[in-house]
Amino acid sequence: MNKSYTILLYFFLYLCLLILSKNVFALEYKSYGYIQPEFSYFIDGKGKYNQSEDKSSVFGQGTFITYLHEDSSKITIRAIGRYDDKDNNRTYFDLQKFKYEYFLDDATLSIGNDIIFWGVNESFHVVDIINQSNLAENLAGTKKLGQPMLALSLYDEIGDVSIYVMPYFRERIFPGNNGRPRYAAEIEKDTVSYESSKEEKKVDIAIRFSKVVDDFDIGISHFRGNARDPELTVNQSTLKLDQYYPILSQTSIDIQATKESWLYKLEALTGKVESENHIKIAGGVEYTFYGVNDSPQDLGIVAEYLFDDRSSNPFNNETALAIRWNKNDIYATTLLAGAYLDLRGDSNRFFCEYEKRLSDDLKLFLDASLNGHINSKDFTYAFSEDSSLTIKIAKYF
Amino acid sequence: MNDKFTYNILILLLSITVVFAETSEEKGLEIAKRSYENSRGYTDSQSDQLMILVDPQGNEVIREISGKTLENHDPNDGDKSIIFFKKPKDVEGTVMLSHTHVNNDDDQWLYLPALGRVKRISSSNKSGSFMGSEIAFEDFSGLDYRKYDWNYLGEEEYNGEICFILESYPKYKNSGYTKRIGLTDNLFRARKIDYYDRKGELLKTIYFEDYKLYLDKIWNADTFKVVNHQNNNSTIYKWINRELNVGLNKKDFEKSSLLKLAD
Repeated sequence: MNKSYTILLYFFLYLCLLILSKNVFALEYKSYGYIQPEFSYFIDGKGKYNQSEDKSSVFGQGTFITYLHEDSSKITIRAIGRYDDKDNNRTYFDLQKFKYEYFLDDATLSIGNDIIFWGVNESFHVVDIINQSNLAENLAGTKKLGQPMLALSLYDEIGDVSIYVMPYFRERIFPGNNGRPRYAAEIEKDTVSYESSKEEKKVDIAIRFSKVVDDFDIGISHFRGNARDPELTVNQSTLKLDQYYPILSQTSIDIQATKESWLYKLEALTGKVESENHIKIAGGVEYTFYGVNDSPQDLGIVAEYLFDDRSSNPFNNETALAIRWNKNDIYATTLLAGAYLDLRGDSNRFFCEYEKRLSDDLKLFLDASLNGHINSKDFTYAFSEDSSLTIKIAKYF
Repeated sequence: MNDKFTYNILILLLSITVVFAETSEEKGLEIAKRSYENSRGYTDSQSDQLMILVDPQGNEVIREISGKTLENHDPNDGDKSIIFFKKPKDVEGTVMLSHTHVNNDDDQWLYLPALGRVKRISSSNKSGSFMGSEIAFEDFSGLDYRKYDWNYLGEEEYNGEICFILESYPKYKNSGYTKRIGLTDNLFRARKIDYYDRKGELLKTIYFEDYKLYLDKIWNADTFKVVNHQNNNSTIYKWINRELNVGLNKKDFEKSSLLKLAD
């Protein structure tokens, strides 16, 4: 069946659910979402791999929440999807959340798809591991896929403990051949291999301890399961990239200290893949000048650094710098501008994101992504001609 | 005359002097304290809150949140609150938890739905605009007598009632104000407060309206009307369906509680 029909079908089912719950079950619920058409123009003309100089797509998201049994349990659904006119991999539907939660006095039991975020950084999300990324959405990997899980959280004075049991693994989504940006070689979807003999049915486990101590928010986590990030190797017969998911064991810590207008952040992990150990550390600061020049406006500064001890990792010595201007007007006008810099000088990328509310239910987004110097041996060289300007308008309902 | 009589007279004279010697600062503090205690004495509350932001041309925009509050009975600490944003629609699903402190920065966490992330945020900005309105976060606890130094200035007629005139100076170093002058009626309810900005100029006036008696003892203004004299914007802030003592406790106001309310 064609993907767009599947998306329409899901959307129809979602609407039925809303109408049914209101009229038949008389449930109290919250429901909200948005539809967002987007258009991008690539300023360097056609792409390195002959991709089109523009792309159009429509993104949609719908959230539904209802509480049952006098608020002792809750059902949450968050469905997202996109139709992209060029890249078939970017046309998808996903149930990011489709979960039932049961609340006890000092515990929550949850079953179903969920999005779990760990970490404190703005740019380098080092310790976040539970959910798979959809790289067709963006290469930064911030758009996640719903992870099926059984989760138990226990709340205590000593701290909170959450245990996650994940019975099914989701493969990473990569940009397709017509995607822009895309990888230098095509990524093979049909011959994915795993270290674990149980493959995607391997049960992944994670545990996290978290606690707030005065100005410090601390999290310590351990994960064991299929790595979210596959090893990509060139298949000599097809010349495509084959995906291989090894087993990853990783222990991490994330700390944020909040001292007046300063936020100090640190994420660090030690991981083990196929008996090789690695270390990854990222951290930095965020500072906000409130009420600049006695106006209501705020100006924030973010500076973060990333280190990975694997020299084979293209992102092992990076820094991210950004300023965030918040006008604090009724249109919630904000501007975020910054740079990702490889400290060896192999690749630099600049970005600028402007957003403004147009009316109660319309919001405008303007994004620019500009490549600076990129070394032809760098991994990101494949994206070096993909500088783009994007306009998005979200209609909320 | 015996010594005892002289002694008693002396004591009497002394105590009269003490009563008359109550300074304007002490009288101001006493009134402010009674006014604050007038609005307290519950355990927890929940309500829907509606804001109408009006610009000088009369254009209106609506903000809507629902909130829960846990009253803190610790004499040195502030209340806890958790709010769920509903309007404007682009922030619907965002949830904010605050553990307020009397004369220090609050502890605040935001649940951001896009990433599913809970972020601890700096709260050195208690004087900043709340959701683009003319209300600042610090105004929600503007009746807390512990946050100010007080001075009683006299009496004044306001809407046909004799009110106390109270002057107050914030103790909190990041406050957006240098001075406030307010009127409090003889039921010890604040009726209006003028706020002076960091330069000492008149910034805004908050009018406290729609007073309602809750649980037969607690006076709460269900409407704040804020007029900004510098940019001529105004905000009408209404509490709707305010219910006290619905059975919330400390556990409903932890960082982990954000995820229970979150999508």
